[in-house]
Amino acid sequence: MEFMEIIKGRRSVRRFKDEKIPREHLLKILEAGIWAPSGSNIQPWEFILVTQEPTIEKIKLISPGLFGNPAALIICCINKKRAEKGGRLGENTALMDVSMAAQNMMLMAYSLGIGSCPIVSFNKTALKELLNIPEDVEPVLIISLGYPEFWPKPPKRRPLEEVVHVEEYGKPLEG
Amino acid sequence: MKNTESLLKDEHFKLLSFLITSARGCVNEPVLYGPLRLVDAAARLIDIMKKEGKVTPEIEELQKLIEEKKDLVMYDEEGFINFLDELSKRLGEIIKKVD
Repeated sequence: MEFMEIIKGRRSVRRFKDEKIPREHLLKILEAGIWAPSGSNIQPWEFILVTQEPTIEKIKLISPGLFGNPAALIICCINKKRAEKGGRLGENTALMDVSMAAQNMMLMAYSLGIGSCPIVSFNKTALKELLNIPEDVEPVLIISLGYPEFWPKPPKRRPLEEVVHVEEYGKPLEG
Repeated sequence: MKNTESLLKDEHFKLLSFLITSARGCVNEPVLYGPLRLVDAAARLIDIMKKEGKVTPEIEELQKLIEEKKDLVMYDEEGFINFLDELSKRLGEIIKKVD
């Protein structure tokens, strides 16, 4: 699959088939995550892989933005002690690092025919309690994974001409 | 008193969890996520009503409309608001019919 095809093909999937994801594919997805760029090479991330149905059901109870019946969840967290090494920028950089890791994982998932959805609408306090996440580790994103019932149509993108500024802000991309 | 195991499968408890966590989420989320959570809760409530034999075809249509249109919030704000109007209109029609 062409790389641009993977980037453009990935969609946020919210309806999944009742089908397990092989462990080796889950590990491949996680491996893609740890190869993301990281500011000062701090690698502030921690990932919690959840595949047990009862636990997924409990997480669904406290996650209004989690739709469908995913086969697995990856809870992307920031290790705040590690992030502190990044100084005053540490918190922001950590969030960017984890975001890039999440994108790597979602693209890898798509390349394996697995749908994903990034979710920020979940209750952090309840999730920390539920999964015994320590105080200095902050869950920031849930990625749901599963085989899609269908691939949703892509929403419109703001065109390059609108979002790209050439050489200085306000000078549009032409031709 | 129910035990924890059965509580997790209880549809009312699921709705209760959804409402509480949505309330907290709405503090920080985009404004239109409030209406989204409410109509999502409405669809979940209709599921419960179905199991209790309280759903008319018209109410079932409301749920179908919610499932079809709630995602508009992600990419078509105006369309999402129109959908809420449509939903309200249909609800009004249902209530009007009641003796």
